[in-house]
Amino acid sequence: MTHPACTTTAEELLAWWLGETDRTEDERLDEHLFACAACAARLDALSALGDAIRRETLRGDFGFVVPAAFVGRMKNAGLTVREYTLAPGGSVNCTIAPGDDFVVAHLHAPLAGVHQLDVLIDDTTIGKLRLNDVPFDPAAGGLTVVPSATFLRSLGISQQRLQLVAVEGPEERVLGDFTFHHTPS
Amino acid sequence: MIPLLATRLYAPRMVRRGAEADDDATLARRITACAPALDTSAEAELCRRLAPRIRLYGLKHLRSESAARDLAQDVLVLLLEKLRGGTLRDPAQVASFALGTARQRVLDVQRGERRRERLREAFPADLLPAVEESPEPLDTPRLKRCLAALPERERTVLVMTFYDERPADEVAADLGLTAGNVRVIRHRGLERLRGCMQAAEGTA
Repeated sequence: MTHPACTTTAEELLAWWLGETDRTEDERLDEHLFACAACAARLDALSALGDAIRRETLRGDFGFVVPAAFVGRMKNAGLTVREYTLAPGGSVNCTIAPGDDFVVAHLHAPLAGVHQLDVLIDDTTIGKLRLNDVPFDPAAGGLTVVPSATFLRSLGISQQRLQLVAVEGPEERVLGDFTFHHTPS
Repeated sequence: MIPLLATRLYAPRMVRRGAEADDDATLARRITACAPALDTSAEAELCRRLAPRIRLYGLKHLRSESAARDLAQDVLVLLLEKLRGGTLRDPAQVASFALGTARQRVLDVQRGERRRERLREAFPADLLPAVEESPEPLDTPRLKRCLAALPERERTVLVMTFYDERPADEVAADLGLTAGNVRVIRHRGLERLRGCMQAAEGTA
């Protein structure tokens, strides 16, 4: 049955699930979840959604931007990660091998003082697109992009140009250009 | 030892309407009042309700689906034994008893003790109450499309959170954000993802 005075939010349930709650809150939510079927069902759905996000991430069907430290955790978990590191203006011949789980690009650029960072992509296969307001650590000195492995595997010989752009109100400032010459393995 | 019914008797189709309408405490009282005979519908309904809660608690603390399922079965066995024997002092506290037992059991597992093996000896596996499967798997193609459609910031935070179940402060440290900011982005991302999944469902 649903606890009659249930005011527990999804955020509280997720915080409990991820171990963000202190001991007192942890125990309160332990007890609540055993008494409130509605919250148990919500948490079950949340847990299933989290599992599905993880599975889809590992499947490589969509791209994302992450801190470089995250790539380290992927490798520690046993994933095979092919890495390319480029300085501004750099280019590289690249591929994805059958045994690769992911390909990542570490794009070095001066990010100190940047508040909004966009990534402009110009691809000979899919055309142009823009990733708005990507998350980054200004102290990191660069951005790590993880393109969809499924997409990379579908590519023939192609070229992709990435541009990191600092957005300051109406003004835009290019921080670096990076070119990838892709050849299938 | 109290004999337990075969798994099939706990299948949801065997639950009569009366059991579904009763609250947890009423079900517990029915089981105790019926002993030594068995109120199978009350037992099945109580197991159906509590098993997912115990499993979630186990998943959170043990991070293993199989260990969580074992925990649910063990706790339910002990609970039914107490109810049938009339030794649960206050049946209204059935959820508290389940939580207390689950807590103790998790501590046992974490200490490397093998209490489960003793229970397995006392209650053969084919006699244990069924633990329901987790919800239906999500629609994968739809989820993929919805994830791809998220704003970059939200997708990154959700990937970093659920890839290895990291709390907000750790995600924040990697992204140069505050934990509060990560929680806000995470909340927005989940809401947008749910909305996208539901919208897609409506058009399916």
